[in-house]
Amino acid sequence: MENSSKEEYKIQSFDLETQKLLKTALKGPGSVDLEKVSNVIVDQSLKDQIFSREAGRICYTIIQAEAKQTNGNVFRRNLLNRLQQEFKAREETRKRSTQEWVCLVSFICNIFDYLKVNNIPMMALVHPVYDCLFRLAQSDALQNEEEVDCLVLQLHRIGDQLEKMNMQLMDELFNLLRDGFLLQDLSSMGRLLLLEILEFRAGGWTLSETAQKYYYSEVTD
Amino acid sequence: MSTHQKYRYENDCKPDENRKKGASRWSHCRKRGADGNLRKSHEVEEPGKCSQSSHRPESFTTPESEGPVSRVKNWGDEVEAEEMRSNVRRDMHRYRRRILEADFPQRDRKISSGSSDSRDSRDSKESPAKGDLETDETTLIRRQKQINYGKNTLAYDRYIKDVPKHMRQPGVHPKTPNKFKKYSRRSWDQQIKLWRVKLHAWDPPAEEGSDLQQIEEIDLGEIMDFELDVECSADTGSQCPTSSGASLSLAEDSFTGTPKKMMKIEDTEML
Repeated sequence: MENSSKEEYKIQSFDLETQKLLKTALKGPGSVDLEKVSNVIVDQSLKDQIFSREAGRICYTIIQAEAKQTNGNVFRRNLLNRLQQEFKAREETRKRSTQEWVCLVSFICNIFDYLKVNNIPMMALVHPVYDCLFRLAQSDALQNEEEVDCLVLQLHRIGDQLEKMNMQLMDELFNLLRDGFLLQDLSSMGRLLLLEILEFRAGGWTLSETAQKYYYSEVTD
Repeated sequence: MSTHQKYRYENDCKPDENRKKGASRWSHCRKRGADGNLRKSHEVEEPGKCSQSSHRPESFTTPESEGPVSRVKNWGDEVEAEEMRSNVRRDMHRYRRRILEADFPQRDRKISSGSSDSRDSRDSKESPAKGDLETDETTLIRRQKQINYGKNTLAYDRYIKDVPKHMRQPGVHPKTPNKFKKYSRRSWDQQIKLWRVKLHAWDPPAEEGSDLQQIEEIDLGEIMDFELDVECSADTGSQCPTSSGASLSLAEDSFTGTPKKMMKIEDTEML
């Protein structure tokens, strides 16, 4: 059981003491310093790409557990405010390290995906998420495969939800992507990634069978 | 002036930390601090620390800011506000359904579980006509906040454990005001006030100086009883700081067995 929860929440990359802290938080949030827990999670998300894409899960569980046990939302509040700080500093982060920057974007999007309020996505995060994606769609970022990869990953995961929350911004974003694809001198991988996402959205956030074959026929699972 | 103010804030207390964690005059009954953390029941009021009212969040409009800045500036607050709005809407749907059910009663309708503030739709005398609900979201949210303050107390916790809903007698037992009914602002505020006063009957014992509870256990005889009586008649809130100061010192020196009378005179440095 222990190993499966490690797997499920992808916390293997944490040191043992932190793993223990997280497991305690999952079971009994009232007994741990939730501010510390949220910081630990955010810090790791900025370093660990795999965790940044999955951290939403563990956050969700802790939030539910806290609500049930103490009827509080200390963890969520601390998490969001810390996330906001990181978001504010995103341009510096991008300059300092592309890896950290894409981790940050993945993390914010993952949080958007998992942490819903009465089953509705958090409206407070809609514009920040779009801001991140717009940044990734700028010409300097499109030159960088790591960033394009991050961009298309997020759109695959939460594009449809984002579009529902704000259609106009999504249209604008895709205009940028289309322009980038047509006008910019991109690497062939970059071009392929963009083309796929353009088709993906055009198909209603899903890939037709032929498109699937075209893009993924050589991908081994 | 604002630079002076900032300087003062930084020197006195860090604005965010104390504002959210410090005890205030009214916090002894509250289950949860402003930062959401559960209060420990023996948290002592410290008159020297900054009270909540002396701090303003930085996001308040100040002359040097670019313009009016909303107080709600951080994501934590924004999401909580969203959640409140969403909960109020959900409550509204449930309430409307319940009213409809009241019009068409079914024999074996199950009583829905979970707490809700507006359960009196069945009483046709009280239930509003379908078109007569309070629907203004600002009002509903404000009312819900007031209800939450009341429910976020030790007294309320003890009350609901003590008296299950089906045992409640109207008039005797406090009932949460129904936020969906049309009331004037004054009427609503008064109902809330009365409700909260009624809830005080379930306040935990010896709340004003829980440290007194500790003293009780150390057997100091009738002297302590007198002290207790004075402290506990504090529903009027007319405690003078000196007596709480004295009781604090009493807690610390209780092991030395110094008589209470001596305490009050000697221990002025506690204040």
